[in-house]
This record gives sequence, structure tokens and C-alpha cells, in this order.
Amino acid sequence: MDTDSTAVADSADENTPAGAAPVAARASATGSDVVIETRNLSKIYKDFWGRKKVHALKSLDIEVRKGEIFGLLGPNGSGKSTTIKLILGLLFPTSGRVLVFDKDATETKKNEQIGYLPEESYLYQFLNAEETLDFYGRLFDMSGRQRKQRVEELLTLVGLQGARHRQLREYSKGMRRRVGLAQALINDPDLILLDEPTTGLDPIGIREMKDLILALRDQGKTILLCSHQLGDVQDVCDRVAILHQGELKELGRVTDLLKVQDVTEVHASGLSEEAKNEIREVIARHGADLKSMDNPTATMEDLFLNIVRESEARPGARRVSATASDEPAADASAAEGSQAGSDNS
Amino acid sequence: MNLQPDDFWTFSEWLFRPGAFLESAFLQGVVLIVLAIVLGLLVGYVISAARYGPGEGFYAVARAIRDLLRTDLPGTSPSRIVALARLAFKEAIRRRVLFVVGLFVVILLLAGWFLNPESDDPARLYISFVLTATNYLVLALALFISAFSLPQDIENRTIYTIVTKPVRATEIVLGRMLGFVAVGTVMLIPMGLASYIFVDRGLDHTHYGVVEANEIDGRIVGKTDRVRKHEHTFTIEAGETQGLTNFVRGHRHVVTRNDDGSFTIGPPTGQLRARIPSYGEIQFYDRNGDPKESGIDVGAERLAGGYGSAGISRLIGVAKGNRKLEHSYVEGGTLGMAEFTFDNVTRQRFPDKIPFDLSIRAYRSFKGDIESGIRGSLTFKNPDTGFSLTPKQFTVEEYQIDERELPLTFEWLNKETGEVETRNVFDDVVTEDGRMQILLKCLDSSQYLGVTKSGLYLRPAESSFGWNLTKAYGSIWLQMTMIIAFGVMFSTFLSGPVAMVATAVCVLLGFSAESIYDTRHFIDSNIERGGGPIESLVRLVKQDAMTTQLDVEGVANTLIKSADAVIVYTMDAVATALPNLPRMVSTAEYAASGIDIFNAVLARHSVATLGYCLLAFLISYFFLKAREIAA
Repeated sequence: MDTDSTAVADSADENTPAGAAPVAARASATGSDVVIETRNLSKIYKDFWGRKKVHALKSLDIEVRKGEIFGLLGPNGSGKSTTIKLILGLLFPTSGRVLVFDKDATETKKNEQIGYLPEESYLYQFLNAEETLDFYGRLFDMSGRQRKQRVEELLTLVGLQGARHRQLREYSKGMRRRVGLAQALINDPDLILLDEPTTGLDPIGIREMKDLILALRDQGKTILLCSHQLGDVQDVCDRVAILHQGELKELGRVTDLLKVQDVTEVHASGLSEEAKNEIREVIARHGADLKSMDNPTATMEDLFLNIVRESEARPGARRVSATASDEPAADASAAEGSQAGSDNS
Repeated sequence: MNLQPDDFWTFSEWLFRPGAFLESAFLQGVVLIVLAIVLGLLVGYVISAARYGPGEGFYAVARAIRDLLRTDLPGTSPSRIVALARLAFKEAIRRRVLFVVGLFVVILLLAGWFLNPESDDPARLYISFVLTATNYLVLALALFISAFSLPQDIENRTIYTIVTKPVRATEIVLGRMLGFVAVGTVMLIPMGLASYIFVDRGLDHTHYGVVEANEIDGRIVGKTDRVRKHEHTFTIEAGETQGLTNFVRGHRHVVTRNDDGSFTIGPPTGQLRARIPSYGEIQFYDRNGDPKESGIDVGAERLAGGYGSAGISRLIGVAKGNRKLEHSYVEGGTLGMAEFTFDNVTRQRFPDKIPFDLSIRAYRSFKGDIESGIRGSLTFKNPDTGFSLTPKQFTVEEYQIDERELPLTFEWLNKETGEVETRNVFDDVVTEDGRMQILLKCLDSSQYLGVTKSGLYLRPAESSFGWNLTKAYGSIWLQMTMIIAFGVMFSTFLSGPVAMVATAVCVLLGFSAESIYDTRHFIDSNIERGGGPIESLVRLVKQDAMTTQLDVEGVANTLIKSADAVIVYTMDAVATALPNLPRMVSTAEYAASGIDIFNAVLARHSVATLGYCLLAFLISYFFLKAREIAA
């Protein structure tokens, strides 16, 4: 689907405007609080002999402000991860500068306020969840009692209390991701960098991750995430920068960027066929072009989440038969209410 | 055991070498650190200049140093180091390195089949075996665990989650080093215990009975049965129920006479020793009785070795030649002798008797009387008054330590009164300031006795074997620490396998340092002895002897020689900069010889280890700091 034709009905939109609008306003109110600033940031990867291999990032200028969720968006190889690594000081810029909390990115001190979830959870496989979090807690010079309390909180937060004594090598990808997130939050950071936060997670995990990101933002934390999952970015980010081939292509508020200026969206329920025809006529009379008028379809995400929520409420096998193929849909609609028959279409 | 001159140095003599400062370890250390700093700055500048341009490169280097001094060193937190050390420890343990301990036990069990307890000196065999096995096993292990860990962390990117925490490069390096040292320590302890038990049990044997016993005036003289190819004779004095056997192969047994007239022979004692020697100064006299610096050289024994003790002064060409101490010989039936002067011979140190040990070699210029060994004599003399006791004659027992003692009283004929007086050694033979001389002569003419400074010593005290073994293990621990430091250092900028090879090369260069010095010595002094690597190869191919002129003409000859000189001089410089591992390994020889490892020797090794670890730490820090972790 491309943006021009999303004129009517998008069920995911409940999240974005509701969450983003007030915080976006807050972000602009404290706009002077720049947490991350890149100035003319460039990175060229060289080989052993110093010959240029890839120009991964070209003169990037972005500012991430306090309290916002900033998304770096782009296809594979566009420079998202490079940017994050430059911000963390894992890479050194070829030219330009990165300032984090007004300090140079290579300074260790800045890390005290930073939490980082790497692309994949690069954790020690031979430790268990509790040991892992305890270890990272020690790296922040936390006291024994503090660590214990924090580890407990985080294990609960990411839902790994049951698996706390299993070595990470036995974990599923999603569980590792959760531990990874927990270690990123161990120091209660002010700035959280998330590299592809939703990869490897199941739809529930994705939703939980998104909710968590929003919750963290509501606690006043600044979040920079990079992703190529457009849905994620759209759902949670206040502002995005779109990178392609190492260059900044677009930068701005998600709501502004996605607003299609000359298309109007109408949601209504209980319209009869006549009423619909009437609306069509009104549109035609005003010389406008009706692009589509249809029953909305829910997203697969909604459907899936509904099914899972319901099954948690009523455990046991769902009756799925070839003859009664509309039954699950009926169940789903019973739970959600308004979106009947979406499964059939 | 033949000690070398530098073995006798005290700690401060080693550190500062009074009178020969160029040879001092202190200077060597300082030069090494200064060189490392200068080279480090230079390399750092070249790298940063390539990265950021010449001007900015300078600032980058300056910033790195400022960071180290202003933030990283003061900001280094012990608890983070401990956390990282614990991680390294757990990593190694969960990789099941403790299997090596199991492997060691298996080696010991197998060795039990092959080590011959019937050999002449079974204690030496057993002790040197366990120590050598431990040494090489632990060094190999240290090499593996230290070189692979950090590169693997970088490859797996687990390091990302570490360096994005407030962790400093200093902490990463120290954490690794300490963690691996802890692993090594945890492994050395069971290995040491197993070694002790193995040696103790391996040497244990039982004589089941007495084959011969004669009672003469209530005094019983007898002979035990033959077990492990040896037997003992024993005496039980009249009225006593217990007696001692003689020393055979370094041990003796207690023999008890039971009420029914049978004998019980106890377990072997005295074979695991840790003698604390007190060495004197040695002075040789030639056949005419004139003082000489050394005795007679009975063979071309002064070839290689001992170069290393000259430190920097050898590298820059001030000190030349080898310094290996070989046995010097005294000719029999002449005025030739070796005079040992001992200090600090006091009543406090020798309250009952003056025990002394002989470790002397014999050189026969003819077969002589095959039945009896070569005879020598010992004369105890007061260096001030010239008063001496009647020379004590002895038969040389080669390749073993001959334990003797001087009673504190002796009978003396007073020529004025004509009476025999019982007098004390401390009154007549020892000077007021506690000096005493022992003169060693050979009694058989045209036969020779060979000694070094360590060939005759007083033995005021004895330490326990267990403690001595612990010290030997301490020395292994120091070597392990050094290798771990080097391994971690190389792993900060090389990939795992390459770092391991680099560390191994350092170890091998350290082990073959003396051969390199030797090669250089012969190149320097224009003596044909095979030359450098290229020349040696040419000789090998042409099947030329080592001592002939190199059979290559003209330009090729010059080319070979100059290329060799460059190679050998470079290797020489590198080997001089590296830790002298063979000297550290040689502490095993002390334990095997039953001599208490000198505390000064251990202190020297400890300081050297600390120095090298510091150096490795600094180099690691800069490499890690300058490294793009994610690149």
C-alpha cells in the first residue's frame, strides 16, 4: 500500500495521534534541550590499506531533543546503525562531530546516562538472565542492594522472572531481546538507543515493546531508535529522519510527514447504502474526486492480538473448521466489537 | 645444581648493580618503558595522522594521553574491574578449562608408569617432572585463554554492551588480566596439591625386613632387604630400641627393634628437602699456591650462556662474552686449592654443630684406583690467626649432595702444657666477626676436583619441602601472569589466533634468548660458529661445518653476512626486551635439588613480572582506546 491510497480507514492510527501529540508539544516547549547533536557527521569505511570502501554516512546533521522519540528510518545499508554506533563512540567519525549530552561521543562518562539495545542482543551466552543483569549493574558501580532491586524490577518488566536461572544460550530470540532491553535499562538511563528494537519479536512482543517505548517517553526519557519496520516507526516516533545511502532524505514530525494534505478522511458507522450514495453525490457535486469508499479492513496485527488476548482469557483449542470458516472472525469481532467480517475479505 | 653468578645477587644488587649500573634491571626497565612510550607516541601519531591528518593527529595523541591521566586512570573503578574479572573467570570456567586439571592428573597417572623410582635420584626426577609438566601446561593454557577472549568478544559484539556502559579501557584490560590470573590460580592450586601427593607417594617405599643383624656388645649392626634396587645398613646403639639407617639415594629409615627381637622399618624420611644454604666467597690457588681468579678448565666448557645477566650493557656492546659459571678444577697433590670464606658464622645460627654440604665433581686424568673414589680434604681455618683444624679427608661423591657436619668442639694438644684440651670452634676457628674459611684440596695427584661457588656451603637451617614446592609454583604463577598480560595485550589489536602466535613467539624468543645472544657474540667477535639464520641455512645446504669459513665468495658473502647481522641484531634487541623466562623456569631446579628457592630470586621475578604487566597494561590501554570497536 502506498501513502496516496490510505485515505480511508487505518485502524492503527489510534496510537499515533493519541500518544504523540501532547509529547510532541512538550518536546518543542523544551526544544533547547538537545541531547544528541551531530554536526556534518561523515563516516567512510576503509580497508586495511586505508583505501575507501564504503561512504556509509554523508554530512549528517540531526538534533535529538530531550523527551522525544526520534526514529532513524531507512532501508538496509542506509547508515542507521552507523549513526547509532557513532553516537555511542563505537566508531570514530571520519569527519564532523557527535555530541551527546554536550560531551564528545568518545567520552566514557556519557555512558552513565545511556542505555543501548544493540541490533541483536549481544550478550554472554554462558550467563543466565539474573547474572547478566547483575553484571551490567556492577558496571555502573551500583551497590548490591540497588542491583538486586533493579534486577527484580527489570525481570518483571520484561517478563522473564520464570526464566531467570536459565543460561541465555537456551533462550529464544525473543527472550534474548527482552534481556537485551532489560540490560539497556539497568541504569535507568536518560537516553535510550534502540537498534531495531522489534526484530525477532512476535506480534505481542512488538506491541509490548512499542508500549514500553511510549511509557519510557512518558517518564521523560529520550529515545532514539532505528528501524526499517515502517509500522513501528510510525506508531511510536515523534520525529523521524529518513536515511538512504548515507544521506539524510527527510526529517520532521511523523504527523506532519504523513499528513496527506489534499485528502479528507471520513469514518462513520451505521450508514445505509442510500446515505453512502448521497455522500458520493455530494462529493461529485463539489467537483472532488472520490478515491475509495469501502468497509475498512483491520490489520493482521489487530487480528492476531485479538486472538491471543482472547485465548489468554479463555484457554483451550479454538474451534476452527473448514465448513464454518467465518467463526473465528465472528469471535474476533465479538471481542473487538466494530470490525465484523474483516477476516473474510 | 650449578648456580650462576647472578643467582647470588641480592634483590638490590640485581635492581641497581652497584658498580655496574649498565647491567642493572632498573636501567633495563626504565629503558624499556621509555622506549615503549617513545615508540607508542610515534606509532600513535602515525596512525592518527593517517586518520585525521598531520595537525589533528597530534591533538589526537595528546588527547589520548590526557584522557589516560586525567579521566581514565583516576576514574578506574575497582568494582568494575572485579565485575569484568568475574566475567572473564566465569567465561573460562564455563568453557571447561578446568578439564586441564583433569588432564594433568591423567598425565601424572601415566607418568607413574614411566618415572623410574629405582633411579639414582628419584626425588629430583619426580619433582622436576611435576614442575616441568605443570609449567608448560599452565603456560600453554594461559596462552589460549588470554589470546582468544577479547577478539572473540569483539567478533561476537558482546563487547558492544560493555563499552557502551561507563567502562574504561583500563578496566577492560585489567579485568581480563585479573580474571584469567584468577582462573590460572584456581587451576594451579589443585595441580600443586596433586603434585605434592604424587611426589610424596611416588617416593614412598617399604623395606619389609632385615636380612642381616649382628649384635656386638649390645650394639646391633644390620642390613635391610633390597627394595627398589637399594639397601640400607643400620645401627641400633646398646640399650636403645630405635636406630637409623644410612643415607641411600637421599633418604633413610628409622629401624625399631621389637620386644620379640624382630625389626620394624619405618617409611623413608629426608628425601624431600629444602636446604637453606649459606654461600661463601671462593678463591682459587694454582699448583704453586698463587691466588688465581679461577681453577683449571678441564674442557671447553665455557661456551654459551649467562649473557642475559649483563642486561643493557651487553646489548650496547659494553659487556662482552659469556658469563656462565662452570666448574673450576683444583689439581691433586699440589698446592692448588679452593678457599671458601664464609661470613656470619655465629653461635646463634649454628647452636649445635656446623652442617655443610659438598657438591663436587671429579675429573680423572687416569683411571686410578677403581675401588675407591677420588679423595679430597677439607681444612677449617681461621682467616685472621691462621689457626686450622686437622684436615678432614673425604671421598668425593659425584652428582649428589654430600651432607657433612663439623662438631662445635674439637680436641687440641696444647704443646706448652702437653695436655689435650677440648676447645670450641667458635673460639679458635671462627674470627670474632664470624668469618671462617674452608680449604678444599685434592689428595690424589694428577686427579682433579671441580667446584663452583655453590659447591660447598654451610647449611644453617632447613625449610619445608611443601613450602619450597609452593614457591616453585609461585614462580610458575608469575610466568603465567606474564603470559596472560602479553596475551591480553596482543589481543587488543590482533585477532585471536594471531595474538596467540604473537604471544607464543615472544615466549619462544624469551626461551631462546641465550642462543640469540650467543650467535650475536660470535658475529661480533668474528668467530666462525655457524653465523646467523641465512648463513646457517647456506651451511646446511652445502653441508659445511660450523667452524669453517663460509664458502661463499664476493658480494654474496657480504650480502649474507650483513642480512644476518641485521636479523640477529634485531632479534637480540627484541629478546633483550622480553622477559627472561628460562631463568624463571629454572626455579624448578632449586626445588628438584632440594635447595630452598632464594627469596631474592622470587622477589626479582615478582618485580620483573609486575614491570612487564604494567608495560603490557599501558600498551593494551592505548590500543584498545584507539581502536574502533565496531569496525
